[in-house]
Amino acid sequence: MEKVVAVAVGATRPAICSPSLAEVDFRTSVKMSGFFNVSRLRSLQPIKALEESATASVVQESAAISGNNLCQNSTVAKSTNILWHKNSVDKRDRQQLLQQKGCVIWITGLSGSGKSTLACALSQALHWRGKLTYILDGDNCRHGLNRDLSFKAEDRVENIRRIGEVAKLFADAGVICIACLISPYRKDRDACRSMLPEGDFIEVFMDVPLQVCEARDPKGLYKLAREGKVKGFTGIDDPYEPPLNCEIVLKQMGDDCPSPADMVETVVSYLDENGFLRA
Amino acid sequence: MATVGNSTNIFWQESPIGRLERQKLLNQKGCVVWITGLSGSGKSTLAFSVNKELYSRGKLSYILDGDNLRHGLNKNLCFSAEDRTENIRRVGEVAKLFADAGLICIASLISPYRKDRDACRAMLPDSNFIEARLLVDARDPKGLYKLARAGKIKGFTGIDDPYEPPLNCEIEIKQKDGVCPTPNAMAGQVVSYLEEEGYLHF
Repeated sequence: MEKVVAVAVGATRPAICSPSLAEVDFRTSVKMSGFFNVSRLRSLQPIKALEESATASVVQESAAISGNNLCQNSTVAKSTNILWHKNSVDKRDRQQLLQQKGCVIWITGLSGSGKSTLACALSQALHWRGKLTYILDGDNCRHGLNRDLSFKAEDRVENIRRIGEVAKLFADAGVICIACLISPYRKDRDACRSMLPEGDFIEVFMDVPLQVCEARDPKGLYKLAREGKVKGFTGIDDPYEPPLNCEIVLKQMGDDCPSPADMVETVVSYLDENGFLRA
Repeated sequence: MATVGNSTNIFWQESPIGRLERQKLLNQKGCVVWITGLSGSGKSTLAFSVNKELYSRGKLSYILDGDNLRHGLNKNLCFSAEDRTENIRRVGEVAKLFADAGLICIASLISPYRKDRDACRAMLPDSNFIEARLLVDARDPKGLYKLARAGKIKGFTGIDDPYEPPLNCEIEIKQKDGVCPTPNAMAGQVVSYLEEEGYLHF
């Protein structure tokens, strides 16, 4: 039995924006709950408003001008003589400006599990609420930042590491950054989690059976993989390691799947309840 | 489906919320302010001042500082010529993403080679790459020139590695009568440019 639910999404006026976004009537059809099970495996403490950014910085302008900079030189990774520069506008200021808290929503799952579909729908829903988001899609990043990487194991690790680092920068900038990529290895996803302050990394697992993804095969890749034309394809001849303890699981049970609107509602509720949709 | 770079079977995913929608939300236009100059020329100071001035006007900006990025995204790079090129390429790509997101992205790094800066310029659509050159006497705030002159650092820009100044940049910050402008004055010059070019409103 289908139920039509009309949801009015009221967009709040951002602190920095002159034209306000109009209220939008958002009609969506919702399947009855027997078709899917949406669970949140973690309930985190609300984000503290005065949380420090991992890259927070304060400038001592007079010191810089006079040449008496008090920063310590350091050796960082492969480079020596790297300073940490401090900045007077920090994450908290940007969050006040945007009336939201920056974070990373990391959507993981098999090819065809609906990651990009969710990312786009989520971005749209949050935009209608006056929130600034940005999608880092695995495929899109391979057109630019990660164009020098292949699908070898070490390059997959580097691909995810770089996206994690960029997502961290976006979160520090106050943006709700939606990363969507297969990211099949647990270790790599956990490494990205550890880059961010506790609670700012929100892992969303698209728990869709392989046969459903393969039946969809939106890019024709499963077909190519089964024919042996694509090697090392996740789910076919390369493993996917599901999260053991993530914030949101979007699980499909039975033959049907939740609508993007339902999935979006789950994620938006999580963000709301955990304080990300206000400064 | 396409072969892109070193990967095959890569698609381009479109989103209904694009650059224009975000610019409307933020009431500004995303762009990259690329601050280039010798070590100690005041790039970071300028970046912080511009950032502060933009914030005071309710505009969202973010600094990509060369040194800071070497703590994170670029921590697997050193200062060899190839790694400098890769460092700048990655910063350029990230700056492009930030500009696409609607932010005024302030990149501050020596970026000594013209070819690499021009490659970043080419990444940005619609002339949204604003190169700002600092032409002031370099100080030695980090003690690096001293180390370089003592031969303890090799390949240091300005000592034993070249700096290729821009031939045609959008903003030049110069000394006036031998005096370095204050950070506020320098920031004012940059922010005025952004205002005149229409970046501070949708």
